[in-house]
Amino acid sequence: MKAYITSSGVISPQNTHDSSGFPAAVNTFTANRLTCTEPDYRGLINPIQLRRMPRIIKMGLAASHLCIQRAGGSSPDAIIIGTGLGCMDNLEKFLVEVIDTNEHITSVLPFINSTHNAVAAQVAMLLNNHGYNVTYCHRGFSFESALGDALMRIGEGEAQNVLVGGIDECTGDFVKLNGYHGAWKQPLINLELASTKTAGTIAGEGSAFFMLSDNPIHDNCIAVEGVHTFFIPQGAQFDEIAAETDNFLQQNNTGRDEIDIVLLGINGDIVSDAGYNNMMENFFIPGTGFAMYKHLCGEYYTSSSFALWLGSVILENQSIPGVTQVLPAAGRSFKKLLIYNHYRNTEHTLILLGYGGI
Amino acid sequence: MHTRVFVTGVGIISAIGNGTEETLSSLNGLRSGIGQLSLFESVHSNIPVAEVKYNNIQLSGMAGVDPTIDTYTRNTLLALVAAQQAVKSAGWHGSTSQRNGCIMATTVGGMDYNERYYKSLLEGKYRDLLSVLDSADSTEKVAAHFGIRHHVTTISTACSSSANAIMLGARLIRNNRLSRVLVGGTDSLTKFTLNGFYALEILSPTGCRPFDSNRNGLTIGEGAAMLVLESEETADPRRVLCEITGYANVNEAFHQTASSSDGTGALLAMTKALEKASITPEDIGYINAHGTGTEINDLSEGRAIDSLFGSRVPPISSTKGFTGHTLGAAGAVEGVISVLALKNQVAWPGLNQSESMPELSFTPLSTVTPGPIRHVLSNSFGFGGNNTSLIFSNL
Repeated sequence: MKAYITSSGVISPQNTHDSSGFPAAVNTFTANRLTCTEPDYRGLINPIQLRRMPRIIKMGLAASHLCIQRAGGSSPDAIIIGTGLGCMDNLEKFLVEVIDTNEHITSVLPFINSTHNAVAAQVAMLLNNHGYNVTYCHRGFSFESALGDALMRIGEGEAQNVLVGGIDECTGDFVKLNGYHGAWKQPLINLELASTKTAGTIAGEGSAFFMLSDNPIHDNCIAVEGVHTFFIPQGAQFDEIAAETDNFLQQNNTGRDEIDIVLLGINGDIVSDAGYNNMMENFFIPGTGFAMYKHLCGEYYTSSSFALWLGSVILENQSIPGVTQVLPAAGRSFKKLLIYNHYRNTEHTLILLGYGGI
Repeated sequence: MHTRVFVTGVGIISAIGNGTEETLSSLNGLRSGIGQLSLFESVHSNIPVAEVKYNNIQLSGMAGVDPTIDTYTRNTLLALVAAQQAVKSAGWHGSTSQRNGCIMATTVGGMDYNERYYKSLLEGKYRDLLSVLDSADSTEKVAAHFGIRHHVTTISTACSSSANAIMLGARLIRNNRLSRVLVGGTDSLTKFTLNGFYALEILSPTGCRPFDSNRNGLTIGEGAAMLVLESEETADPRRVLCEITGYANVNEAFHQTASSSDGTGALLAMTKALEKASITPEDIGYINAHGTGTEINDLSEGRAIDSLFGSRVPPISSTKGFTGHTLGAAGAVEGVISVLALKNQVAWPGLNQSESMPELSFTPLSTVTPGPIRHVLSNSFGFGGNNTSLIFSNL
């Protein structure tokens, strides 16, 4: 079963919100934490509602609004969201208040807004949408779980149009706590992330929404042909990754040699990147193109939603933006693009995209 | 052609007992699990709660986990206990087959550890505990325990979370994506949720009285429940407990924390679940209602039931007077109770009822009532207008 991407709405550390294409100029940061370039929310969300609205809900409502508008404005048949951290900022706020005040809290609002499904619920409420509404909160599987569910809803004939989103907000506490584990590099120029050969990565965030449809709206529509997740609790060995990838491709009747571009979750961490490098060197045929994306958006649980956007842009334009290219594809048209990502070598995910609606 | 989805194993641990036998005994004996808070110190200790009657060291023993290892939160221990029961009763031994999955649900994950250690964590202490705070940790520990490597994920849609996990598992089997899937939910009692619901002013000072005209709020519980679902082709016929025939999730799109007074969302979820099961309201032999005991939920859900069933509302109760509201685990806890109702051909009453609600046509069960029950309808509704209905059926 496959579905077609008919529109997207992306808020990221790059200038991705004002159009669906690849931005003309790339934002560079000297930092180990990339923060979203946010739109003016007043044009996208009712200003009265904006007051006291948590930032992650703003990011979710705005990106979903852009996506729905670009798809023609109709309310979807289902809203499915993946978020690794959920509404962590409000969860932290309420937690700290419970501890600090010894349970004499003054506001219940952070509790209400801490529910992981608050973004999906707010999107539904804004649209008065009564359709299927589910939120996945599972680390590096969050977005892929949502995407897989969307494909299944469409395959079941329960939905024709599904709004799928991946959203995570980077919070100060998250950065601090993971910093103790050496998760982050020293501040650096983000575009140099992949060449550092040291431990650690850079923190990121984003909100990327897609309208998936059972119907290609035009001939060169991008299709999500399949999604696969595999969980390797002790950390995956190279041969496990290769075997899972082979399996996934076979299930989608695609050979290794048919993959034109591979979009990898390279995040600059020397340990984490070993798996990607091995795939690049040993799995695909010579001439396959490779690209990366985390130097643009940072590492976060649902970063593959940014990758889905970038992958669809690459196929649509039939070219890899220079700033994302790792190895060029030897002169051919791009029909199939594979996204491979993993989070700390434990949650591994594959998304297969195809060019051409029919 | 779609395959049928069978329940072949169940496991449960809640305030009314560990395992299906203790649970049945409490239900049949009308013994509530609601009582005094003992798990942690709280300024709200006068508010009744429904605790699992074991501390974490005891739970570690039951789960087969070394109690000196501190990376098992109460959420995870409860989940492991329930999952091992479910897998054992299904006669399954776990495997890495791509056709197996593990789909779990929770609302606050390792919040008990967050409450205890957050300030220390921020200072850089207890670094090993950082990885156990989120919603995915229990799922990954359960999946790893049984060698499950594919279709591992966690749903968090507030109090309908584990009903949605059951629904996803059923769909994955029905669509021939999986042969066997462990589904369910877990949530432990925490200060976080106790204070949140207290601040929302929906905690009962006496213990919840679902569908009673004198109801005064919900009682928070804790627990975990897991089910093994298998395709018709995979299931050992001797192990089949019942079938999942209907499911639906809808969004009420009314309010972040409240349901509409006419129960639009509840009605839509129940109607769609019946359609999925290709049965009519008359076929339902028992409704295990969401019935939290709050003013708003019971009126909203009750009105939806009245509009769907008219003058022929089947035997109905909310078992939250026994287990309390186990939040993210509620859909699975009540799913297992629904399976027990089908197997034992009996429906249990709500507790603490004195007077039916004047707004509604029906009176909930007041005694243990024998069947026949062919189909059980189980409702789970959550914050954000998230409404899920499941239908469990005898073959």
